Amino acid sequence: MIDKIRKGIKGNGYFDYSLFFIIIFMLCFGLVMLYSTSSYTAQIKYGNGARFLIRQLVFDVAGVGVMLFTCLLSPSFIKKFSNYIYLFTVLSIFLVYPLGVELNGARRWVGIGPMTFQPAELVKIGVIIIIAFLAEKMTRKIRTFKGSIGLMFCGWIPAGLVYICTENLSSALIIAGITFIMVFVASPNYKGYLAFIAFVAVVVIGVIAYCKTLDVNDAGTFRVQRVVTWLNGDTTITDENFQVVQGLYAIGSGGLFGKGLGKSVQKLGFVPEAENDMIYTIICEELGIIGGISVILLFLFMIWRFMIISTNASDLFSSMVVVGVMAHISIQVILNIAVVTASIPNTGVTLPFISYGGTSVLILLAEMGMVLGVSRRIKIE
Amino acid sequence: MQVSKAYHRRKIVLYMFVVIILFVCLTGVLVNLMIFDSEKYIEKANELHERERDIKAARGKILDRNGVVIASNKTVCTISVVYNQIENHEEVIEVLSKELELSKEEVTKKVMKVSSREKIKSNVLKEVGDRIREYNLPGVKIDEDYKRYYPYSSLASKVLGFTGADNQGIVGLEVTYEDVLKGKSGKILTVTDARGIELEAVAEKRLEPVAGKNLVTSIDVNIQKYAEQAAKKVLESKEAKRVSVIIMNPQNGEIYAMVNVPEYDLNNPFELNYILEEDVDSKEYQNLLNKMWRNESINDTYEPGSTFKIFTATAGLETKVITPNSTFSCPGYKIVDDRRIRCHKAGGHGAENFVEGTMNSCNPVFIDTGLRLGVDKFYEYFEKLGLFEKTGVDLPGEAGSIMHKKENVGNVELATLSFGQSFQITPLQLLRMTSAVINGGNLITPHLGIKTTDNSGNIIDEFEYDVTESVITLETCETMKGILEKVVAEGTGKNGYVEGYAVGGKTATSEKLPRGNGKYISSYLGFAPANNPQVIGICIIDEPEGIYYGGTVAAPVMQEIFDNILPYLGIEKSAK
Repeated sequence: MIDKIRKGIKGNGYFDYSLFFIIIFMLCFGLVMLYSTSSYTAQIKYGNGARFLIRQLVFDVAGVGVMLFTCLLSPSFIKKFSNYIYLFTVLSIFLVYPLGVELNGARRWVGIGPMTFQPAELVKIGVIIIIAFLAEKMTRKIRTFKGSIGLMFCGWIPAGLVYICTENLSSALIIAGITFIMVFVASPNYKGYLAFIAFVAVVVIGVIAYCKTLDVNDAGTFRVQRVVTWLNGDTTITDENFQVVQGLYAIGSGGLFGKGLGKSVQKLGFVPEAENDMIYTIICEELGIIGGISVILLFLFMIWRFMIISTNASDLFSSMVVVGVMAHISIQVILNIAVVTASIPNTGVTLPFISYGGTSVLILLAEMGMVLGVSRRIKIE
Repeated sequence: MQVSKAYHRRKIVLYMFVVIILFVCLTGVLVNLMIFDSEKYIEKANELHERERDIKAARGKILDRNGVVIASNKTVCTISVVYNQIENHEEVIEVLSKELELSKEEVTKKVMKVSSREKIKSNVLKEVGDRIREYNLPGVKIDEDYKRYYPYSSLASKVLGFTGADNQGIVGLEVTYEDVLKGKSGKILTVTDARGIELEAVAEKRLEPVAGKNLVTSIDVNIQKYAEQAAKKVLESKEAKRVSVIIMNPQNGEIYAMVNVPEYDLNNPFELNYILEEDVDSKEYQNLLNKMWRNESINDTYEPGSTFKIFTATAGLETKVITPNSTFSCPGYKIVDDRRIRCHKAGGHGAENFVEGTMNSCNPVFIDTGLRLGVDKFYEYFEKLGLFEKTGVDLPGEAGSIMHKKENVGNVELATLSFGQSFQITPLQLLRMTSAVINGGNLITPHLGIKTTDNSGNIIDEFEYDVTESVITLETCETMKGILEKVVAEGTGKNGYVEGYAVGGKTATSEKLPRGNGKYISSYLGFAPANNPQVIGICIIDEPEGIYYGGTVAAPVMQEIFDNILPYLGIEKSAK
């Protein structure tokens, strides 16, 4: 009995310490950069320079607790509740109607008392779990077109709901992307998926070509305007590209070694909400290209560990969960850095572990816990 | 429980590669931004962050010879707004338009403009600036600045000149001594946050301003005042167009006073000193201003008339074509070639020696002297006594003499030249020439600037001026002083006599061109004490109404001035 409990905690004697330490390091680095980025504006706005730091620290600590908890959950336990988790997270989207809180002109948050959270973040974990669960359950059906489409819609319907209900396109795209990659991995086929990628590419090119013919002022919605300003590629400041251009000034003025930690000038109100989506620009400004590339390498290493863990997972469900997390982190990092370097049009994506955001870090650490849990059960032969 | 298959693992590894490729691409973008385009962005970012502000240097003061400040600086304010820092736009517009007396539309336009710093108004009185400061409006900046201020407003206006919007000299001494007075403005380079608030943590680069040097001039405020008062009096009583008075030290060329009434208000130099009767366009108005700013003592030339006989007499004595005792006869005219040139006394002066001829200001005597001199000698002395050249006074725009070409001078021309007609010089040239005649033959450079000092009065630099020595002999000099003293004591200049002092002088009345228009210039040139001159002065009255004889109109002006300033300068009364 005691042995069984010990084995339950200890797993099979393997534990991915390197992933664990990289997570802890990321959190600490994130706090340092968050404080550096936000203290000046927080002091002016709230009279408390540490406001963002303290809030994030609370969530980080709680998140580490959540991580340790999910680390200990057994796959069979998660599988048992996967339907409920999925349903609960998807239904939480609808909470924006009775409990929606509008922040910065977007209705992405749900407020319960003093707490607010983003349902879109919850949906990510729900979708990862359900697709992993179904991928294992219907290994045969997935080979068929019908099966894979069905699986795909398990993720795409919540993604659509996120877009419709919370008008959060970037989160919807991330959820759809996670779904696509998970289904792609689960299926033995290539052709259909490559065809789909080709189709998406054609649509994107078509949209770009169409937008090129438009003038900023004629463009209807703010999304189209963003695309058009991005295409115009100029770096003069307009209302529409203000945030991105200010971010470019920050990145560009970093140079090789940066201005030094804490010495960013662009964070002094020039880059709007620098502690959020744009925190990477301040990292580049203060730590230079050395710092910027280091962060990319850290994420790459983390994703590499996910690959190792998922390919060695003891069961398909665990493996698929890790693939989902891997897709989640990689998509978000790529989108975030692409946005701040003006490689793609502006869309609000946070940088995992580093950007300010409570729900985001709780969900990310819950996911990390599951991945670490999977690593514990790897059988070493 | 399912176990993952090989194709699962393959696909995971494939996805990993896709991620790696995308990361590499992003790194490439990053390298491009941060290494190759870095300079562009650093420059743009600095443009956004850095504010360069000039710290204006205080312009040097202008002092009179006794240290009295005649041009100084007044603190004024520049009001500007920083858009990002304004909290209550309505209130800011309200207050600024009220206090600065500007229209609301104008202020609104500037306040609502999204710029890092928008200037609303400069040269605002300090009191107004202080009042605006008391509202404590965020985003409203009050910067203090210097504006030139002339405590005596119109005193010596045409000599001092004034400064423009950037405190740069526009006319007068302010121009000549621009480099000395202006100083060097400093700079503050600060880094600001998005709201334009300067960051204390970032060390500002600061270049301290260097204040301009003070200029000590030879002007004596009291003498200038006396002279101005006397000039104004005669200007009004004789309804003259203008009156110029120059008072100078004939020994070293220091100008004590230079008056050209009507003067203008240096604190409002762009307002005419008279009321315009009809509307003029801006170009014409500027012409009128330029005319008002002219320093007629040096910018304009005139026919000197009889005061120029000092020159003819000097040249005659020097070349010994005449002696004080040479005898002449005046029938009231003199025939030169085919011309009959009249003396001012219709009946003639009869028989007289040279001294008496000078006392009478008898034209035939000087025509005779001139003819005896001949053109060559006449021109030689014209040159020797510095009349072909500018005096070199330290004021801008000095005019030169207008003289016949030597080869065109016949007897008639020479005759008219001899009593001061048919050519033009500036009053200051005449004064300089006469100074050389009475100071022992030294051709001095008339000047105003003496030295520069710092604010504690320590001398920084002393100016030196050219002196050409011994242009005439001491003997001629002594004779001339004696003759000119007699002119005042017993001759046409007796109205210039100052109780208790030996005064030398010469009067002149010249008819303005064209002849016969009834317009005259009356002048008088005097110096004292006659044997050792310490002060020389000239008074020129342009177009006096009524009696226009220099001896009657101009000599009393100088008499009045000398009566005041000779005791003031500590020149003792002679026993005589």
